[in-house]
Amino acid sequence: MSLSMPSQQIQELIAGYVLGDLSPDEAVAVENLLAEHPDLIQEVAAVQQTLDLSYAPLEVAPPASLRARVLSASQPSSETQTRRAVAKPLQSSAPRRLLWGRAAGVAAATVIVALGIANYRLWQTLQSLQADRPEQPSLETPLTYTLEGTEIAQNAIAEIVVDPVTLNARLEVEDLPPLQSGQVYVLWTVVGKEAPFTTDDKGAILTQVFRVNDQGDFSGTLKVPSAYHTADRVTQLAVTIEDASIPQAHQGAMALTTVS
Amino acid sequence: MRLTALYTGWFSDVTYSTLPMPAQQPKDDIATLSQQSDAEVFLALRSGQVEALGILYDRHAPLVYGAALHYLKKTQDAEDLTQDIFLALAKGSSYDPTRGTLRTFLTVLTRSRAIDRLRSRSKLRQHVIQNSVMEVATPNLPVEHIVQVERSHEVQTALSQLPESEQQVLKLAYYEGFSQSEIASQLDLSLGTVKSRARRGLIKLRQTLADFIGKS
Repeated sequence: MSLSMPSQQIQELIAGYVLGDLSPDEAVAVENLLAEHPDLIQEVAAVQQTLDLSYAPLEVAPPASLRARVLSASQPSSETQTRRAVAKPLQSSAPRRLLWGRAAGVAAATVIVALGIANYRLWQTLQSLQADRPEQPSLETPLTYTLEGTEIAQNAIAEIVVDPVTLNARLEVEDLPPLQSGQVYVLWTVVGKEAPFTTDDKGAILTQVFRVNDQGDFSGTLKVPSAYHTADRVTQLAVTIEDASIPQAHQGAMALTTVS
Repeated sequence: MRLTALYTGWFSDVTYSTLPMPAQQPKDDIATLSQQSDAEVFLALRSGQVEALGILYDRHAPLVYGAALHYLKKTQDAEDLTQDIFLALAKGSSYDPTRGTLRTFLTVLTRSRAIDRLRSRSKLRQHVIQNSVMEVATPNLPVEHIVQVERSHEVQTALSQLPESEQQVLKLAYYEGFSQSEIASQLDLSLGTVKSRARRGLIKLRQTLADFIGKS
C-alpha cells in the first residue's frame, strides 16, 4: 500500500525524524512505520531535502584529491588495529527493521545542485560584498584595516589600527609563513600614482619592514604616511615578500591584502 | 570549487555524477551497497565494510564541505574539517539511525566542530571576524546577525510564508544548532511547543515546496 499524502501524525513523525527530535517511543514508532511502508523513505528524503534547502549552507563539491586522503586515513594502518573492524550491531529491538531501503531500492540522499551554478555565483558575490571595508574616518575615530591572506599565505591575517591625526598605528599579523634568510615582509600603503604623495612606480608607499616569529606572528607600533590624514586617499594595504637588502624594490609576491 | 550534481533525477530515476571513483574491480556487493539507504550503508561501515565510507563520502561530502567552507571560509580548513567529520563517522561516531537521518546528523556535527575551531582561533582572529561584516554563527549572537544562507527564490518565498514563530524555532534548532531544551528556555516555551512548532513549520515547507522538489 502506498500513501500518496501521509496522515498528519505520520508527517509529524517523519518531520521529527529528519529534525532529530524523536522521543524514544516515537523512534520505535518510526521504525515500525518504515518497516511496514518502505515507500515512505521517499517522503523522508523529500523532507530532508526541504530542510537542507531551507537552512543548510550551499553544497560545494570538495577538491577531488580529498576523497583519496579521507579513505586512506580511515584504513587501519596495520593488522593490529582490529578494533575498528569488529562488528558492533546497533541496539535495536527488532533487528534489521531499519533496512527498509532495500525493498525500495532507493538511497535516502538528496538532490541539491538543481539550484546550480547561478547560486554559486551569487554566493561568490555575497562573499566579496561582505569583505571588510575601512571605516569612513572622523578625526577622533581610529582607522581599522583588515588584511587577508592570499594563495601563498592562506591562513594569514592582519589588522592595523591607525590614528589619523597622530599617524601612530598598531600592526598585528598572524600565521604568515616563515621566510628564508635574506627575505623580509613589507607592508605597503597604496594611494595610486596620481595622489599628491611620493610613491614608487606602483603607487605605493613603503610603510613597514618586519619579520615574523616562529609562530608566524608579528605585532608592533609604527608611524604611517601622511596619506592616512585623509583615509579615502588610501586605496589598499598589502604585505609582500621582499629581498631584505632592498625591500623598497617592491618585486615580491603578495602575501596579505585588504579586500575591498 | 565546482558544484557537481549528485543526482540528476529525484526518486524515480537516480543516477550518479562523474565524481572520481577509486580504481577497483566493480564487485556485486559494492554495486548493491551503493543502492542502499544511508542507514544500511552506515551499518555496513560499522561492520567493517571498506567500500561503505566511500559511498557515504560521495553522497554527503558536498554537504559537509559546503558547510565547513561556509563557516571557516578557507579551503584548507574546510578540507581538514571534512576529513575530520568522515573519519569520525568511520570510527563509530554517535550516529544512531533509529533517531534521525544521517544528513541532519552530519550537518549538526559539522557546524558544531566548525564553531569549536572558530572559537579556538586567536583573539586577533576573532576580533577581526567580529569587526568585519562577515558575521559568524555562534550561540552568543542574536539570530538576526547570522550570515544569511543564499537561497533560491522559491525557497525564500516558502520560508517567508511561515509564521515567524515557526521560522524562529526551525532556525534555532537546525541552523543554529541549539537543542530543543535550550530553545525552550531561551524563548520561555515548553519543550512540547518547541517541538511542534519546528515540525509544523517543516511540514508546511515540505508542502509548499512539493512542486519545486519534484521538478529537480
